[in-house]
Amino acid sequence: MIRVGVVGYGTMGQVHSQAFQELNDVELVVVADPDPDRRAQAQRDFGVDVVSNIEELLRSSSVDLVDICVPTYLHETVLAQAIVGNKHIFIEKPLARNLEEGQRILELAKDYDKKIGVGHVVRFTPAYTGIRESVLQGEIGQAAVARTFRGGSQFPQGWHDWYADFDLSGGVILDLIIHDIDYLRWLFGDVERVYAKTTHGRTTAHLEWAMIVLRFKNGVIAHVEGSWTNFAGDFYTTVEIAGKDGLIKYDSRETDPIVKTTLAEARAGGGVTVPENPAARSPYLLELEDMIGAIREDRAPLVTVEDALGTLKVALAAEKSARLGQVITL
Amino acid sequence: MVRVGFLSLAHMHAYSYGHALKQLPNVELVGVFDPDQERGQEGAERMNTKYFPEASRLLTQVDAVIICSENSRHREFTELAASHGVHILCEKPIATTIEDAKAMIDACEKANVKLQIAFPVRFNTPVMRVKEMLERGVIGEVLAIRGTNHGQMPGGWFVDPELSGGGAVMDHTVHVVDLIRWFLGKEFVSVYAEADNMLYDVSIDDCGMLSMEMEGGIFVTQDPSWSRPATYPTWGNVTLEIIGTEGVIDLDAFAQNFMVYNDQQRKISQKSFTEDMDLGLIKDFIEMIEEDREPSITGFDGLQAMAVALGAYESARIKKPVQLR
Ligand SMILES: NC(=O)c1ccc[n+]([C@@H]2O[C@H](COP(=O)([O-])OP(=O)(O)OC[C@H]3O[C@@H](n4cnc5c(N)ncnc54)[C@H](O)[C@@H]3O)[C@@H](O)[C@H]2O)c1
Repeated sequence: MIRVGVVGYGTMGQVHSQAFQELNDVELVVVADPDPDRRAQAQRDFGVDVVSNIEELLRSSSVDLVDICVPTYLHETVLAQAIVGNKHIFIEKPLARNLEEGQRILELAKDYDKKIGVGHVVRFTPAYTGIRESVLQGEIGQAAVARTFRGGSQFPQGWHDWYADFDLSGGVILDLIIHDIDYLRWLFGDVERVYAKTTHGRTTAHLEWAMIVLRFKNGVIAHVEGSWTNFAGDFYTTVEIAGKDGLIKYDSRETDPIVKTTLAEARAGGGVTVPENPAARSPYLLELEDMIGAIREDRAPLVTVEDALGTLKVALAAEKSARLGQVITL
Repeated sequence: MVRVGFLSLAHMHAYSYGHALKQLPNVELVGVFDPDQERGQEGAERMNTKYFPEASRLLTQVDAVIICSENSRHREFTELAASHGVHILCEKPIATTIEDAKAMIDACEKANVKLQIAFPVRFNTPVMRVKEMLERGVIGEVLAIRGTNHGQMPGGWFVDPELSGGGAVMDHTVHVVDLIRWFLGKEFVSVYAEADNMLYDVSIDDCGMLSMEMEGGIFVTQDPSWSRPATYPTWGNVTLEIIGTEGVIDLDAFAQNFMVYNDQQRKISQKSFTEDMDLGLIKDFIEMIEEDREPSITGFDGLQAMAVALGAYESARIKKPVQLR
């Protein structure tokens, strides 16, 4: 039995907590969150113990795995404490808010005898793993140009609106399209140079649109785009990869197997059409299953601290490029 | 009656322009000159008109010409037409160097003939609708635009740098840049680009990515790659995602289509029902001559769009953003 404690019971903490229920011989035993409402909710949802912070969690419960789902700017602090507690650790992406924090995490992770995995969940998302397989099997020949999009939805709502504070979240580049940067690195390897643009600083805090041009060491040219908006819209993602012998195209909006429009919803005044893309095993379940597997089998998780730091460096280079209007060579 | 001729049929758009001319009541297609006699004769036959073995003979019998030569020869044909006092519709890009483009504009000014550049996408119905929306301010103030103009590898003279002046970046940057200048009435001030030859065994850039800045800090990215494979069901696309302070417009200029799956030819194709933009372009050109007004798309417009593509090549070479004047 692997006993789990979740730190931070916001959007991600709740998603992870649900996923742990579906894993065999894994038990969510405690949730830590400073917000009393969130603690009450965790108790209601799963009947688990609740505490207000990681120190208390480490003192009061014996857990094997600490799952860190706190806002990004708190990642390093909470992770350092979990390391003092000598626990296996799963931490949400991005690894940290800045390079110094990321590097200190890497130092802490060196020679650590427990596992640390990072939540770059796109590596567990079926469309994305499928596309990667196709590329690696040579179905489109040598890849040349890649395009990704992620966003379109409303601005994320976080604890005290922390997403809207660029210093805390890093905005669309560091928080959102870091997913695609990580995915493309997983496919194509290291990035040579970065040139990025963002609307950050030119508009209200609740609207950001970013576009990054990446050149990989293997030659691939990529366009990575993402958005958080203050106008209504549905979240969607796209991927397009052109190679010497073909092209792969994916648009999540075209893959909803169920679209439902009902009189009940129309009467309720919503009148919205609701697409559904169900999966028996969500990508979050798959990433946590990999983490549990790493602990049980004494192997590295799919996304290591080194990997996540490599991805963070590219995202930070993009942030810097956008700020300075310069090309950043890595 | 406006009498029109063609100078060179090297660019396949000539046939679509020829088709458009035929649909206009007040136009006479007088004939075709092409230095490649075989192509000229065949083309003339296809368009049901006369082949002229000498350009000057054709030029004395027309009011206007459409130049569909290879890009690097636009200048010589433009100067020739201007010297005969004939109005010009020149295929895009205007030329392959700033010097040539300026010489063309000068020659037409001096000869007092009109020079219009063929950016037909301005006459695409959805594109025109989006321009209207932007004028009404439906998405607030424009912050950024993401464009694509993907295509299949065209082959032929398009992949000969001497004749085309550049590959995918030259071929597919100018349309999008022109649309955006037209939409916003602003100029591009800098361009960063990656450009390379990775998709086909040709000795010219076949893929790339541009990231540009405009007056007022608006940024624009554009993917000009010839990244639609031979099996792709259509020639390519022109898309613009226009991001404003109060909304976003996603434009896919050629989305009006349906799919055909044909077992006999083992072919999947996308059939367009978009209205004919080339007809719009040609009609506008003819009206300009009849009404003796300024061209809706000037030589300067052509020059500005080409300058961005040339800047992109410079940027890809030095791996830094390039300021455009
Ligand atoms: N992988 C993904 O798809 C994905 C999606 C969203 C967010 N994230 C990442 O997950 C992390 C959390 O994001 P979120 O959207 O769940 O945030 P959130 O704002 O919804 O939740 C954060 C929670 O942390 C709690 N908290 C704050 N300080 C704490 C502390 N010191 N100790 C314990 N709990 C504390 C808050 O009370 C809140 O409940 C971020 O790093 C974010 O980037 C990942």
